[in-house]
Amino acid sequence: MSEKAFLVDISKCQGCRGCQVACKQWNGLPGEKTTFFGGPEYTNPANLSALTWNHVVFYPLDKSNPERPVWNIKHTKCYHCAEANCIAVCPQMAISKVDGWTVIDQEKCIGCGACVSACVYKVPGLSEINHKNDMGQLIIHRGKSHKCNACTLNKRDIPACVSTCPSGALQFGHRQAIIKKALKRVKELKKDFPNASVYGLDEFGGLGVITVLRDKPEKYGLPVGKDAQKIDLSQFDSINSIYHTLSVFTMGIPYLQKKAYTVAKALAGAGKKA
Amino acid sequence: MTNHWIDIQHADVVMIIGSNAAENHPISFKWVQRARDKGGKLISVDPRFTRTSSLADLYAPIRPGTDIVFINGIINYALQNDLIQKEYVVKYTNAAYLIDPGFAFNDGIFSGYNPAERKYDKKTWKYQLDADGIPLKDESLQNPQCVYQLLKKHMSRYTPEKVSAATGCPVDTFKKVAELYTSTHKPDRVATILYAMGATQHTIGVQNIRSYVILQLLMGNIGLAGGGINALRGESNVQGSTDHAILWHILPGYLDAPKVFGPKKDTDLKTWIANNTPTTKDPMSVNWWQNKPKYMISLLKAWFGDNATKENDFGFDWLPKASKPHSHVHIYEELYAGSKIEGAILMGTNPVVGGPNSMKEARSLEKLNWLVCADLWETETSIFWKRPGANPKTIKTEVFLLPMASSVEKEGSVSNSGRWAQWRYKAQNPPGEAITDLDFIDRLFRAVRKLYEDDVKAGKKVANPDPILKAYWNFTPEGHHEPDPHMVAKEINGFEWKKNGEHGDQIENFTKLTDDGKTVCGNWLYSGSYNEDGNNMARRSKKDKTRMGMYHGWAWAWPMNRRIIYNRASVNMKGEPWNPKKPVIWWDGDEWKGDVPDGPAPAGEKLPFIMLPEGVGRLFAPTLNDGPFPEHYEAVESVTRNIFNSQQYNPAVSLYPGTQGEFGTSARFPYIGTSYRVTEHWQAGAMTRNLPWLDELVPDMFCEISPSLAAKKGIKNGDKVIISSQRGSIETYALVTERVQPLKVNGQMVEMVGMVWHFGYGGHASGSSCNFLTPQCGDPNTFIPEFKVFLVDIRKA
Repeated sequence: MSEKAFLVDISKCQGCRGCQVACKQWNGLPGEKTTFFGGPEYTNPANLSALTWNHVVFYPLDKSNPERPVWNIKHTKCYHCAEANCIAVCPQMAISKVDGWTVIDQEKCIGCGACVSACVYKVPGLSEINHKNDMGQLIIHRGKSHKCNACTLNKRDIPACVSTCPSGALQFGHRQAIIKKALKRVKELKKDFPNASVYGLDEFGGLGVITVLRDKPEKYGLPVGKDAQKIDLSQFDSINSIYHTLSVFTMGIPYLQKKAYTVAKALAGAGKKA
Repeated sequence: MTNHWIDIQHADVVMIIGSNAAENHPISFKWVQRARDKGGKLISVDPRFTRTSSLADLYAPIRPGTDIVFINGIINYALQNDLIQKEYVVKYTNAAYLIDPGFAFNDGIFSGYNPAERKYDKKTWKYQLDADGIPLKDESLQNPQCVYQLLKKHMSRYTPEKVSAATGCPVDTFKKVAELYTSTHKPDRVATILYAMGATQHTIGVQNIRSYVILQLLMGNIGLAGGGINALRGESNVQGSTDHAILWHILPGYLDAPKVFGPKKDTDLKTWIANNTPTTKDPMSVNWWQNKPKYMISLLKAWFGDNATKENDFGFDWLPKASKPHSHVHIYEELYAGSKIEGAILMGTNPVVGGPNSMKEARSLEKLNWLVCADLWETETSIFWKRPGANPKTIKTEVFLLPMASSVEKEGSVSNSGRWAQWRYKAQNPPGEAITDLDFIDRLFRAVRKLYEDDVKAGKKVANPDPILKAYWNFTPEGHHEPDPHMVAKEINGFEWKKNGEHGDQIENFTKLTDDGKTVCGNWLYSGSYNEDGNNMARRSKKDKTRMGMYHGWAWAWPMNRRIIYNRASVNMKGEPWNPKKPVIWWDGDEWKGDVPDGPAPAGEKLPFIMLPEGVGRLFAPTLNDGPFPEHYEAVESVTRNIFNSQQYNPAVSLYPGTQGEFGTSARFPYIGTSYRVTEHWQAGAMTRNLPWLDELVPDMFCEISPSLAAKKGIKNGDKVIISSQRGSIETYALVTERVQPLKVNGQMVEMVGMVWHFGYGGHASGSSCNFLTPQCGDPNTFIPEFKVFLVDIRKA
C-alpha cells in the first residue's frame, strides 16, 4: 500500500470536471469523440476507458428528502487497491506497485484483457488506437490496457487532478492524515446526511483513494464486504498455468502472446465445465 | 466587485442569485467552500438546480425574471420585523433623508411619467433641502416623507404569499431564506451577494441589482469583509475592458462620454464639466467626482499631447459626440435598417452566436462593404456569409480574418473581478502570422494616419482630419518595430507632461492629477498602478499584514490599491469596526490601519460613500431611468401577468422601432425560454469548441426540461427536439432532468426550457445557437439585452 492517498470528498465536488481535463492534459491523452448520448445528466463519456483515466459521474437528482435535494457528482479513477485483482490476474506480471501505486508496464502488457474483467470498479480499458502526446511520445498503445497511474509516470509531486481541483474535493497526502480528515468530515456531514460514510479503509486491503460520501457506498454502486475482497484466483491459476505452457511458443511476440492467453482462457473454461 | 475573490471566505451567508458561480466561476468556489468550512451558509437562488445548488445549504427556485420580487420580499421581511442594522442605516444611507412632497408612486408608475415617450421626468425624485442646500433629515425615521418610510411603504406589497405567487418559490422556502439572510443585520454577521448575467440581462436588469444594494445597505453589509455587492465578471479581463471604456457611453475611468442628445448637451468642455460634475454643499461629503475635470483634462492630454491646450479646450472638440445611443443592439438595428456604416472591425467578439436575435445580426452584417474579424480561430461571425441558409453569391461583404495572439502569447495586464490588475508575462510567441491586439491597433492607427497625412499634403479635401492628425501616439520605443505594453501602461498610470512630448516623472496616484494640462493620465482609476515605484501590477508578494487575505503586495487593485471599496462603511463614526472579528480598517487615534482607507480624513469627519454627492448609500436612487425604488415588471415576453401593478413590462422600456412583429405571445409560445453557460465551454464558444478535451465533455448543444414537460411532449432524455420562438427555431438535444421543475405561478404550473448558448454552426464542435431565439429589447439604463427571459415552444423533432 502507498504511504500516500487521495481524498475524494464528494460533498465538496462542484462537478467542474477540471480533474477530467487536467488528467488528459498532463498525461497527453486524447479527447474522446463523444455525442450527447442521453446518459445521466452531464456525464460524458459514459465510462472510464483506456483514453479517459479520470471520470466525473453525475447522478440523477436525489429527492428522497424533499427538503434537501441532493445532486451527487463523483470523481472516479483507479482506486489503487492494496490487494489489487488486476495485479493478481495479469499473466505477464505487467501490472505492479510503483511507490505503492498500481501501474501498468506497457512494455510487458499483451492486451489480454484479464485486468479489465477482473477489476470490479471497471477501471482499466483496452485501447483501439495509438496516440502520441505533444512531444511525440507514444502514450496510448493500440490493443493494450491503460489506466490512471497516480501521475507517477509524469513525475508530478501532486497528481494533476488534485492540483487543479478548486474546491478541495480532491486532496492528496499521507494516507493516515487523509483518513483522519475523511473521518472528521463525515462526522460533520452526518448532521445533514445521517448515512454519510467513508469508503476505502478496508476494501481490497485498503484503497489508495479514500472517498467521503453523503450516503452509504451501495447507493453509489460501490462494492462492499465480500464483493470488495481479492478475487478467487483458482480460475486464473489454471488459465495462467496453461498460458505459461503455451507462451513458450510465442517467442515474446505480443500478438501471439495475446492469442495464447485467449486459448488458455478457453481451455481453462472448458476444464472447469467438465 | 466591491470586495474581491479571497474575501468571500469571510461571509457568514453567501447568496448566489443570477449567477451559477460553481459552473461559470469555478475558482470562486475555493472561497465559497472556505466560507462554508468555517460554518458559513450558502443560499442558491436559481430557476434550475445547478452545480452551485448542489453545494448549497438552502436552494430556492424562482421563475426567471422575478429577482426583484424575491429580494423585495426579503427587504419587506427585514423592515416588517425590524431586522436592519439601524445605526448603519441611519448614518450611512439616505434612509433619514426627506424626499420632495411631489414624489409619488401609483400602480407601478413613479411621478413624472410621460406615457407617450415612455420616459420619466425625474424632477420630483429629489431631496428636500435646507437654506444651506443640505438635505433635510429625520434620524428618528418617523417622518412619512423620509426615505425609510417611503421604502417601507413601497416594499409592504411584497408579502411572502405574493412573493411565492409570482416567483413560484414555496412560501416556506422563501421564509427560510429571508430568515437566514436577515440574520446578518447584526453588526458581527455579514452576507455577500454574488451575481452575474442572470441578474443583469433583463429589461429590469439594473433594478435587479438595485434591490440587492438596498438589501445589503439595510443589513449594514457593504464595506465589510465578507460583504458587498459582487458582480462575477464573465471574462478574464472584462473588468479591465469596462474600466477602459469598452462601452459606448463612457470614457476610460467611467468618465461620461460626451453626448449631444437629451436635455443636457456636452457641446464644449465647459458644458461637459457643468453637466457631469456632481456638486454638494454637505461638508461631511467627500464627493470624489468633484475631481472629474482633472481626470478629463489629463485624459485629453494623454490623447492629444502638446496639441491639447487650455485655449482649445484641450482638444475636447476632437472627441466624438454621441448624437443618439450606440449600444450593441442600436448598432445592429441601425445596420439592419441600412445605415452609413460601411465597415466593421470585430475583435474577440462573435455576435452571430452571442448577440440577441443573432440570425438577424448575421443578416445585418450583409449590409457591410467590409468586415475585419480578429480572433484566435475562425468564428461563426467571420463565416456569416456561408451560414446555413445563406447564399454567398448574393453577399457583397468582403471579409478579412486576422489571426491574433492568445492571452499567453503577449504581455500586459488583466484585471479580475476583484479589481486586481495583474501583470502577465509572455509565455511563448504567437504562431504563424498572429500578432497581438496592441500591435494590430498600433499598426492600424499609424497606417490610417499616414493616409490622412498624404491626402492633406496632396491638398485633397479631407473630412475632419484633426482627431487623427492631432493625436499623441507614442508606444514604440526607439529602434523597435513593435509597440511596448509598458509604454501603454505608463501612460494609463499618467506622468508629468513637459513640452514636446517629453515625459516627466510618473504620477504617484490620481490625487496628483491637475486640470491645467501639466499631467497626462490615460485612466485616472489606474493611476498608481505604474508609478515611480515601478510596475505595481507585477508585484507578487505573498505577505498579508492584514491577515484578512488582502495581500496588498500582490499585483495592484484600483483604486489606490484598495482591496475593499467603501471600506469606511465597515467602521462606525468613531472608526471602530462593526465586526471586530473581521476588521477591514480601524482608526487608531492618529491614522487608519488595515486596508487602504476610502480617503484619509479622520474617523467621523467624512461620510463613507465617497463617490456619491450625498456621501451615503442610496436606498432611494434619484438618477436611474426607471425609478428610485425597484419595482417588479414582467419581461417583455412573459408567460403570466404582473400581479404587483398594471404595467405588464417596464414602463421606461421603449422597444426598438425595427423590432415590430418580433415578439411572441404565450398563447403561441407557452414556455419560458432562458439561456446560460456551462463550465466546459466559454461564451460564444470559439475558444473552447475547438478544443477536443472540452468537446468530449459537452459535444453538442442541448436544452434542459423537466420530466413533466417531457412527458407531456413525448420527449425522452437524449431525444432531438425543435424549440421555436417568434424569431426562429432551432433543433437540439433534450436533457430531461429532475433539476428543472415546473413552478406554480399565479395559480398555474409554468414550465421552462433552459438552453446553453455556446454553440454555433462553425468550429470543431458545432450546434444550434440559442440566440436565434432571443429578442432584441433591453434595460432602459444600460440597454443590456433581455437574454434571460423569452417565450418558446418545444416539440419532439
